[in-house]
Amino acid sequence: MSAEIITAHNVTKVFGGLTAVDEIDLVVKEKTIHSIIGPNGAGKTTFFNCLSGYYTPENGEVFYCGQSIRGRGTHEIATLGILRTYQNIRLFSSLTAIENVMVGLHHSLHETWIDAVLHTRRYQKDEKHALIEASHWLDFVGLIGCADAVAGSLPYGAQRRLEIARALAGKPRVLLLDEPTAGMNPQETLEMTALIRQMRDDFGITIILIEHDMHVVMEISDFISVLDFGKKIAEGIPSEIQSNARVIEAYLGPGGAALAQKFKRKTRK
Amino acid sequence: MKKTYFQPIQIGFIFGAVNVFLVLIGFNAMVASLLAKALGEQVLTALPPFPYLAAFTILLGLWCGIAAARKSSRARIAGNVLAGWLSGLAAGSVTFVFCVGIGWLLSNKIDIRNYLTVLSFDFINGVLMGLPPLVGALANLGILAAAGAVGGLLYGFIQSSKVKQINQPILALTCSTTEKLKRLDHGRRRLAFQILGVAIAGAVVIFLPLNWGSYWNYVAGTVGLYVILGLGLNLIVGLSGQLVLGYIAFFAIGAYTMALLNSPLPYNLMWGFWPALVLGVIFAALAGLLLGLPLMRLRGDYLAIVTLGFGEIIRILLKSDVLTDFSGGPRGIQNISGPTLFGRPFNSDIDFMYLIAISVALAAFVYNRLQHSRPGRAWLSIREDETAARACGVNTTRYKLLALALGAAFAGLAGAIYASRNQFTGPEEHSLMASINVLSLIIVGGLGNIPGTILGAFALKGLPEILREFSNYRLLTFGALLVVMMLSRPEGLIPSKRPKYKTPQEADGRNAEEKNVS
Amino acid sequence: MNETLPISIARKGANVLKYLRPVFGAVILIFIIYRLIQTLLIQEIFGPETWTRLVIAGMIIGSVYALIAIGYTLVYGILFMINFAHGEVMMLGAYTCFFVFEALKNIKVGADHSLAFSNAYPVISIIIAFILGMSVSALTGFLLEKVAYRPLRQAPRLVPLISAIGASIFLQNAAQLLFSPQLRDVANPQILARGSGWKFLINGSSVTIPYTGVFTFLLSLILLVSLYLIVQKTKFGRAMRAVALDKKTASLMGIDVDKTISLTFLISGALAGAAGVMWGLHNSMVYYFTGFVPGIKAFTAAVLGGIGNLPGAMLGGLFLGIIESVGPAALGIDFQLKDVIAFLLLIVVLTFRPSGLLGEVLAKEKV
Repeated sequence: MSAEIITAHNVTKVFGGLTAVDEIDLVVKEKTIHSIIGPNGAGKTTFFNCLSGYYTPENGEVFYCGQSIRGRGTHEIATLGILRTYQNIRLFSSLTAIENVMVGLHHSLHETWIDAVLHTRRYQKDEKHALIEASHWLDFVGLIGCADAVAGSLPYGAQRRLEIARALAGKPRVLLLDEPTAGMNPQETLEMTALIRQMRDDFGITIILIEHDMHVVMEISDFISVLDFGKKIAEGIPSEIQSNARVIEAYLGPGGAALAQKFKRKTRK
Repeated sequence: MKKTYFQPIQIGFIFGAVNVFLVLIGFNAMVASLLAKALGEQVLTALPPFPYLAAFTILLGLWCGIAAARKSSRARIAGNVLAGWLSGLAAGSVTFVFCVGIGWLLSNKIDIRNYLTVLSFDFINGVLMGLPPLVGALANLGILAAAGAVGGLLYGFIQSSKVKQINQPILALTCSTTEKLKRLDHGRRRLAFQILGVAIAGAVVIFLPLNWGSYWNYVAGTVGLYVILGLGLNLIVGLSGQLVLGYIAFFAIGAYTMALLNSPLPYNLMWGFWPALVLGVIFAALAGLLLGLPLMRLRGDYLAIVTLGFGEIIRILLKSDVLTDFSGGPRGIQNISGPTLFGRPFNSDIDFMYLIAISVALAAFVYNRLQHSRPGRAWLSIREDETAARACGVNTTRYKLLALALGAAFAGLAGAIYASRNQFTGPEEHSLMASINVLSLIIVGGLGNIPGTILGAFALKGLPEILREFSNYRLLTFGALLVVMMLSRPEGLIPSKRPKYKTPQEADGRNAEEKNVS
Repeated sequence: MNETLPISIARKGANVLKYLRPVFGAVILIFIIYRLIQTLLIQEIFGPETWTRLVIAGMIIGSVYALIAIGYTLVYGILFMINFAHGEVMMLGAYTCFFVFEALKNIKVGADHSLAFSNAYPVISIIIAFILGMSVSALTGFLLEKVAYRPLRQAPRLVPLISAIGASIFLQNAAQLLFSPQLRDVANPQILARGSGWKFLINGSSVTIPYTGVFTFLLSLILLVSLYLIVQKTKFGRAMRAVALDKKTASLMGIDVDKTISLTFLISGALAGAAGVMWGLHNSMVYYFTGFVPGIKAFTAAVLGGIGNLPGAMLGGLFLGIIESVGPAALGIDFQLKDVIAFLLLIVVLTFRPSGLLGEVLAKEKV
């Protein structure tokens, strides 16, 4: 049994009168792919924002390796090793691809502005390191060919991969991926799935995934949590979730479970 | 079909309105005087001879015709002429109405100079070219229509093949040069350019000040100081994307530090130039930090107006009676002494020119190094997307403060030198207009890059000095040029380029290739 | 079993920034209370009549600020740009006011042709001045948008700002060249001459409420309320709000975005024109720089209230006007420093409420 790397305890986030995330308890084991699914507006992204420190939850705590990270700034949490990508890609769009990744390397470099002005040895070491590392991550996501291309001009799929490379450059122990395959064609989706698996297997990164594509979710997840209206309604390994009546109801509405059964039987025949 | 006639007429009306406006501000008389002087004629009165005033109208008509012909883009020359003539006619008719109006004023001896300053009887007479009102107005109409048609004709000729043939060798030459340049390796090409640029700049800086008069050294010095200011503001606006409108306040802090520590009045501290310079830089940076600390939560335009307010606060405080004992009130502080280096006092504009040139080089050096470093990338990431930058682990608050403090330090340096060179500083030198000038120069030049800043400083501080002839029309032209510039080249004269990195993979690839070849 | 972290999770040192704001606030609060006690209770320099005068003056100037601020807010709300030339639009309104009264003064009516039109029919004259002033300014605003801003709608945010600054410089200098740089006295109708107004006694000394002031204040309120109704209730107002939220979607819904933006500039220009005429009437003085300071102050007011927010602009304008007028006396500071107080107020308010008094409470962008 591997260790718990992220533990959310009773996390609640309220906007005005709307409780977007309602007393969610969640345990993520290290080196797993943990998917969070749920219908639109279930509070998945808000929950991500609570994990990454963009929102401070009104109630409850988030523990990272057993220590509370409540009230930490986004950049502190990123420095600790929880990095993320965004649902609607947020690259530094007029910088080049390699510069984007170099920004991702920010906290593993140590040069200050004085080093930069004086070109001290630390500066030279850091810049060299940055170039090698950044090229490495670009190579990993298969974008080394367009290192000097302006990020905003890259095609959509490449932008998604670049965003992942930027996050990887920050040496994540936990990577939060917000709908990484949204808007991709089947081929790109397959590649993305392989990439996600590779990140877990090769680098031992824990991946928390928000995803709407059920094929992807069922295929790669080690564990799935289902949210609906800000509450966690189910949890388990993929096969359990597939047959969970409450989950099907959440997606298909009341009576959905029966409908799904019927549908299943039909296809089996 | 209708539209083809409509468009030239529309353009003509616009030109007519512009013509009336230019006449009403006396611009035509100024251009005519310049023309007359250029042709060697003595212009004694404010009003140049009629032919030159007519020449101005002709020039405007030509431009109008060319513009109309270009917009209508006819294939045949006749079509171009028609478009030009139509627009000239439209412009002429607007002018005709105007001329009849001022002619009526003239014939009835109604003096409205009290309201529209330029409309003296002599001037009206000049616009009507000494003819009776109606005839003069008709003459204006005729001139504009004819000039419009000629303009259309000219454009038609330029369009036709003859001119293109003349252009061909020139085009071929430029093509081959760029090809040659392109064939050079990227890094080597950059190096070649850099060496060339530095050599030219060095030669200019070393030899020119000796041969220039004091006035040109003064102007060049001012341009240099604005380059430093521009680079500092570029750190804040161009790199980290924080819009700061009261930037000149930091300049003022540098200038007043120099003034207080290095002048006989009010305190007679006389610490000497160099300590005052260092302290000026430090105080300006501290002021940047202090201003930034409470305000780093603000975004975009909120920050802009707050910093604008800060600039105004500093200016008003320096000017007020409350601080008269300290800052000299509206009169400012005089007799600020200059630096001494190795026992030799700096007392001429030439000495200061060298000092400023070194400071500019230093500022550009620091800016350049900061740009391509971890802090530089952090700033850029904040400019692009602050939220994503934070999520990448960039402490945005710290880096925004750093940018503000460093940018302010640049301004402090420029301010201290400025005060020492002019031996004077007063509150009105640090008005909002000066801040706006600095902002304009970095945007006109091209946001975020050094050559752009230098070019912008020349364009905005150097050109007005050269165009002294324009005197009254300087600011008007400046305003109009800013608008035109933004409309035609919103990315600035020299747009920023991203640096290229040689990734290890690429380097490997190239090595392998070279090996294969050998 | 919990694995230990490779890096320490503990913070390095205390977060200084966190305590900075409260300390800053406390210092300012203590200073204000100290000065207030000094001037109000210990020294008692000013009697109630002075305070009344200052508040009246503040309300009048505040209502003018509010009118101009509305223009900034409308344009900002729809285009997210600072219309830097807005103060100059107002200045042209003030000049129109000057010219109208100058012309009407020279039209003689009455039995022996000795009575000036503006004195004989003051109400009609004022109406003419407002109609002309508002149309001139509205037209200027409209042309400004068409020439200097419309082609730049897709450009980075700083570009239209610079264009606006250029337009502002241009208009200022054009006015100077056309109408000469000297100060002009507006030929007010006699009943609105300087210093005329309702007088009453407080504490034995007379306090005047100038007619122009009352008129300015009331007209501002009427214009602001009607604008608010237009924006909230009419079809055009709905279009405007839709364009402000999302231009692309609005255009897909069949809203003519260009027309809506043009109309917004017309309205904001007309309001600035009204403010200009009021300025001319109330201060009886016009010159080419007239628009600059009110423009900046009004922009400050708009930000103070929360830019993009109509009631915020009104509140911000009045608030700024009154503070600026009462502040120096209340804090026992030199009256020269009233602008310092205005801008300090802005800094303090934004430090604690980064999106202004009525702005949405820290509108975090959606990620």
